[in-house]
Amino acid sequence: MTPDIKIRVADLNFSYRDRTILQDVSVEFPEKTITALTGSSGAGKSTFLMTLNRLWENIPNAQMQGTVEIKLQNQFRDIYAPDLAVTELRKMVATVFQVPNPLPMSIRKNVAFPLKLSGERSRGLVDEKIEQALKMANLWDEVKDRLNEDARNLSGGQQQRLCIARALVLEPEVLLLDEPTSSLDQASTAVIEDLLLKLKDRLTILIVSHHPEQVKRIADKVVEFTDGRIITAP
Amino acid sequence: MKRYRELIAERVFLLSALASSAITVAILVFMVFMGLPLLKQGGLYQLLLKPWAPFQGSFGIYPMIIGTGAISLLSLLFAFPLSLGCSFLIGSIAPPSVSKWFRRLIELMTGIPTVIYGFVGVFLLVPIVRELFGSGSGLCILTAALVLGIMITPTMTLFFCDSFDRIPKAYLDAADALGASPVQKLLYVILPAAKQGMINGVILSLGRAVGDTLIALMLAGNSVRVAESVLEPARTLTAHIALVIAADYESPEFRSIFACGVVLYLFTMAVTFLVRYLTFSKDQTV
Ligand SMILES: Nc1ncnc2c1ncn2[C@@H]1O[C@H](COP(=O)(O)OP(=O)(O)O)[C@@H](O)[C@H]1O
Ligand SMILES: [Mg+2]
Repeated sequence: MTPDIKIRVADLNFSYRDRTILQDVSVEFPEKTITALTGSSGAGKSTFLMTLNRLWENIPNAQMQGTVEIKLQNQFRDIYAPDLAVTELRKMVATVFQVPNPLPMSIRKNVAFPLKLSGERSRGLVDEKIEQALKMANLWDEVKDRLNEDARNLSGGQQQRLCIARALVLEPEVLLLDEPTSSLDQASTAVIEDLLLKLKDRLTILIVSHHPEQVKRIADKVVEFTDGRIITAP
Repeated sequence: MKRYRELIAERVFLLSALASSAITVAILVFMVFMGLPLLKQGGLYQLLLKPWAPFQGSFGIYPMIIGTGAISLLSLLFAFPLSLGCSFLIGSIAPPSVSKWFRRLIELMTGIPTVIYGFVGVFLLVPIVRELFGSGSGLCILTAALVLGIMITPTMTLFFCDSFDRIPKAYLDAADALGASPVQKLLYVILPAAKQGMINGVILSLGRAVGDTLIALMLAGNSVRVAESVLEPARTLTAHIALVIAADYESPEFRSIFACGVVLYLFTMAVTFLVRYLTFSKDQTV
């Protein structure tokens, strides 16, 4: 059984100023799998992720050519087409960064933040979704009694799971993670890896990872970056 | 050898620190001392609450305190939204190239001498206010506050921009990645995170507005009566000092300006301590 394609990238070129970072990248990502993006530091992995959620657009002098299509709500959409608002795209294609970046507010407010952005007012529904997302991120039991505490008081691993919960609360279809465990100890890393394996049934996961063991443990597919090009391994 | 040099440098710095704080205290002592005869004569009550009528022997600075308060607070009211808009433009709305130039321009504006603002006010704003409201000479609280507001806007804007710049990039990335629109990012992430710095900026700008002499002197009309509306003239403490300083050294008028000095001094102190306090409490919560 070949899984359906979720993300289709074609002839992608990317440069900062005049320095080419990605060259003629064409790649597809299957639905509801974990794909690991590997390669040496500076190979363009983070940049590649940014082309999938359009986060690179904030960077001055960055340029991109090519097409990126993602199947959103069962329909392939060109994510750079003017009829798809970037704020909508980012609600369906969620991102988790290398260093956990909780906002300077309570745990509850952090997870509720995306709901606030999309105008969700009903307190009951918000609380329900917060609980759901925190449970999905394997964090609920640890924080359920301290939801109003500042999120920055959590441990690094907890903060990263909080960021995952926050990314999940709007029920995205794609989850992009850029070396999410590189700042964490082994135990926290294992918790997050388990979590990703559990999430794979629900959404499509792309994870940048430096660790071959981690890749072996969780990835269904590996995409390796070298010199701005990619080598796909089975 | 090196130790000695360090020791000497340390001593020199300590000495200059002591000297500057001593001067600050000395100024206060001096002003209180100079104003003392008048204080003994009429008491603090007379000075602070009576009108200014030197020919009747009444040297109250109460109207000037009101004038200072009205003009500086009103100027703050103009400057705050203006600064907010300018800093939003620089910090998030305008494209980088535009915002860079705009910021340079604002930095340049902080260096323009006050008297220039005063001139522009006299020749541009005074006639407009006179025509628009059809009453008085156009020299009034409103005119002075408007120009003062424009004068303190660059300072306030730069303070706001600095507090925006100090927001960790991680917060902004988080907001972007979660699909916040630029306005949402501003309201829910940037403003809350920059609040303390912005409060400091507002307080320091208020200090500047209170301390400014020339604009009120040129534009507020300098009346010693307590104004009943913003379209009436008024006199600030600073303008009052500037106007009275030409009087006879031994006269009670002259003495009274020291009371003005003390009031201004205490206000500035209060502002400084408030800023300290706010900055301190912020450090504690981080
Ligand atoms: N904002 C930027 N401006 C200019 N060059 C950048 C920027 N971000 C990354 N680069 C460069 O692009 C290359 C790829 O970076 P990146 O995508 O972060 O690599 P990776 O994530 O694989 O380590 C690097 O050489 C890096 O120096
Ligand atoms: Mg990277």
